[in-house]
Amino acid sequence: MKMKTKQAWTGFLFALPALIGILIFYLIPYFISLYYGFTLQDQFVGFANFAALIKSNTFWLSMKNTAIFSLIAIPLAVVIPLLIALFLSTFDKHTSFFSSLFLSPLIVPIASVVYVWQIFFTDYGVVNNLLQKLGIEPVTFFKGPWSMALIIIIFVWKNCAYNIILFSAGLRKMPRDVSDFARLDGANRAQVITKIVLPLLRPTTFFVILLTVISSFKIYREVYLLYGMYPDEHVYMIQHFMNNNFNNLNYPRLSTASILLSVFIIAAMLVFFMIERRSNK
Amino acid sequence: MKKRIVIIIKYAVLAIIAILFLLPIIYMLANSVMTSSEIIKAYTNSPEHYANFHVIPDQFSLEQYYQAFLRRPQFLKMFWNSLLITIPIVVIQGLVSVFAAFAFTKLHFPFRDALFFIFIILLIMPSWVTMVPNYMMIQRLGLLDTIWALILPSAFTAFGVCLLRQFMRYIPDETIEAARLDGASTLRILFKIVLPQVKGGFAALMILTFIDNWNMVEQVIIYITDEEKYPLSVALSSYAANDPGVIFACGAIFMIPPLLLYLFHSKEFKNAKY
Repeated sequence: MKMKTKQAWTGFLFALPALIGILIFYLIPYFISLYYGFTLQDQFVGFANFAALIKSNTFWLSMKNTAIFSLIAIPLAVVIPLLIALFLSTFDKHTSFFSSLFLSPLIVPIASVVYVWQIFFTDYGVVNNLLQKLGIEPVTFFKGPWSMALIIIIFVWKNCAYNIILFSAGLRKMPRDVSDFARLDGANRAQVITKIVLPLLRPTTFFVILLTVISSFKIYREVYLLYGMYPDEHVYMIQHFMNNNFNNLNYPRLSTASILLSVFIIAAMLVFFMIERRSNK
Repeated sequence: MKKRIVIIIKYAVLAIIAILFLLPIIYMLANSVMTSSEIIKAYTNSPEHYANFHVIPDQFSLEQYYQAFLRRPQFLKMFWNSLLITIPIVVIQGLVSVFAAFAFTKLHFPFRDALFFIFIILLIMPSWVTMVPNYMMIQRLGLLDTIWALILPSAFTAFGVCLLRQFMRYIPDETIEAARLDGASTLRILFKIVLPQVKGGFAALMILTFIDNWNMVEQVIIYITDEEKYPLSVALSSYAANDPGVIFACGAIFMIPPLLLYLFHSKEFKNAKY
């Protein structure tokens, strides 16, 4: 009994520094922002701030762009690495040399390659040079809808690497004889993959999706380094909306947006974990 | 014969994938050993003259590196700023997370799982949600426009705790109970038994935390007004506009610390089991 309480104290003590850190920088100020979210000049205003936020056009623009980006970029950054990992698993020899090459986009800082992207994709840049030579109409990657395409390309390029490693690790853990037996029973390659490999890979896939979603929240970095503070309206993301309100220190607006988005993300997360739990049954 | 053709095709595909991933990096490195005048000449573009794909230097030259290291004190200052922000974050994050992850995985205390749930929620929260609370606290503590505004919130994220916990879960409880019966203290169990078994996870944590904060952008432009304190992750892009002749070497130098860290730990990193 005494040992139990001693262990409880040690456990609590060990967790304490981390707890204090998130309490000070995340939890306590989150409750302060709740206060700002429901007041205007120290007057309680109920949901008025939320109503004003929802009427804001720039807020919806940023939500729309972030949604478009996430719905296209995340599936691509999960499926392409899965295909590459399956492809790598067909080699008899070790392919770990290649998978460490694939990791380089993750390791190289964003700011280091930004200038390369600019030279490639600027209006009179390398890519348009190539397109022109092929007789294709040049594309403006820094204006209009193509700017979103450029951001998606860069995101997929950067995030494939780590996901390939995770999928490859998942495939390596898989008992090899399972698929060998199935092949003997006359199942073709496609059947082995869809009926056996993919279901066994499900836990890895959920983990990969989760990490990719978290990385997708950081796309603002690329957008900022390529387009600056005031980008084309097609790549105006939620972080831009927040930054504009930071610049004029609009606390009620900031707090309201932060609260609304946090509730939205918690809800989305609960759905995600519910799907995960159900699929594991 | 047919089999051989299939193998050749497979390696060709592999090579194409590898080139796609490496091209921007090779391009940067190749351009970093060109003279500044060659760079400016190659990339001054206009409707009449499109920029060319230019990867082989006319003349090998370390001029850009010489310029960046010895003629651009500002560049080195920003590089130093990046180190000054990133290293404390990695150290604090590593230390705090090891203890907390161990407590949340292998020790029992009241409200443990409820408290851990907060960490999971925080893990997912994007910067556009957390920066508002962060800002309010940083401002109240009077830390705006200091590097502590960048260090402290990033050092105490939930990432380290969640990642290390994922690794520690696979250590059987019996190992820990046995050591405890032998009279080992909790600290001793953590450092002698648990840590050696999660080396890969710890390497992954160090590398990923380093890379993530080496790339820090959004916090810098909101919390820091004095551009002298900017890290290279933000400052490098203004270089591109003002000083394109040395930008490739600057980018290459900026890449060195994460690359070294990765090379030293690549084995543990890749063997890390999730």
